[in-house]
Amino acid sequence: MENNMPNPGAKPVDTKQIKEMLNRKKGKMKRYLSHCAHCSLCAESCFLYMEHHKDPQYMPSYKAINSLGKLYRKRGKVDRKLLTEMKGIVWRNCVLCGRCYCPIGIHIPSMIAFARSILRSQDVYPQLDEVFSESWL
Amino acid sequence: MVDFIRGQLISIALIIFILGLIFQLIQFFRLTKKKEWVYPPLEIKSENKSAGQWVAFCFGSLKGTLWKTDPLVTIVTSVFHVFLIGVPIFLLGHNILLDHSWGLSLWSLPESMTDIFTLVVLICLAFFLARRLFLARVRAITTLYDYVILLIVGAPFLTGYFAYHQWFHYDTVMTIHILAGEVMLITIPFTKLGHMLFFFLYRFLVGNEYSFAKGARAW
Repeated sequence: MENNMPNPGAKPVDTKQIKEMLNRKKGKMKRYLSHCAHCSLCAESCFLYMEHHKDPQYMPSYKAINSLGKLYRKRGKVDRKLLTEMKGIVWRNCVLCGRCYCPIGIHIPSMIAFARSILRSQDVYPQLDEVFSESWL
Repeated sequence: MVDFIRGQLISIALIIFILGLIFQLIQFFRLTKKKEWVYPPLEIKSENKSAGQWVAFCFGSLKGTLWKTDPLVTIVTSVFHVFLIGVPIFLLGHNILLDHSWGLSLWSLPESMTDIFTLVVLICLAFFLARRLFLARVRAITTLYDYVILLIVGAPFLTGYFAYHQWFHYDTVMTIHILAGEVMLITIPFTKLGHMLFFFLYRFLVGNEYSFAKGARAW
């Protein structure tokens, strides 16, 4: 069973801090997000996509749009439930191997890595026991 | 209103298009800086290969590229982008208008040829639309905005095709054609169509593994 439940004892989400972090890299990340043509040509470059029977959830663009893209769209006003959902996208569905290829030249790993940093700032990251549980692999 | 669309708005759209691209270019150079050092370019060792070995080497290098993983999309998108830029620039009607207003024009392709090329652009757009509608992986990341962008790109070509063949009411179709072209020019610098400029900046100037050139700038 995947542990996607928010921790009841966790501190409240610091949306101000998220917004500050988003603003710091806004110039680069918002351009990357807005120039993505949603062509899905990055799909086959991801070994996880290929290994998961071409499940669209593992497409590099899908992962970037539904993590960092969502954070920008909501201007950082997110709750812990959403951050916990993103945790699966940026840690379980991506290993940051850096092999994803975008024909336009968008650097997708830097977007996922940035999403991870934001999540980590809110104490959302995989726990050791999760990492080694079967559901995580 | 029609006079505005056929007159002043053309200049306004052109100015917004050019200034918008310049603004994006300046922003890009402000946001990126020159790297302290860059990786030396990869060098292919000169080996004594026969012509056949070279051909095999070149085709072997395509393995793992988009030519190998998605050849149909690669061909369609390449053809589409060449004609998307080329057809409006080398269209006889556009060049005659340019000559009338500015006294300068570019070479023009024969009308029968640009007519076919316009149709090719429309077929490519229909292919992209079909991918968005029927392919699960494209649908997963498609929003209403993507359809609007397809419409913005397709409208000038569709109305241009109608106008050339004088289908429907010519004047109305022509006005819509001009308006569609203006909307496209205005939206290029500020929407995902901006990849027209940023493709070159990302692939040639920003240094990463997939850069076509040395890529001496970093964010």
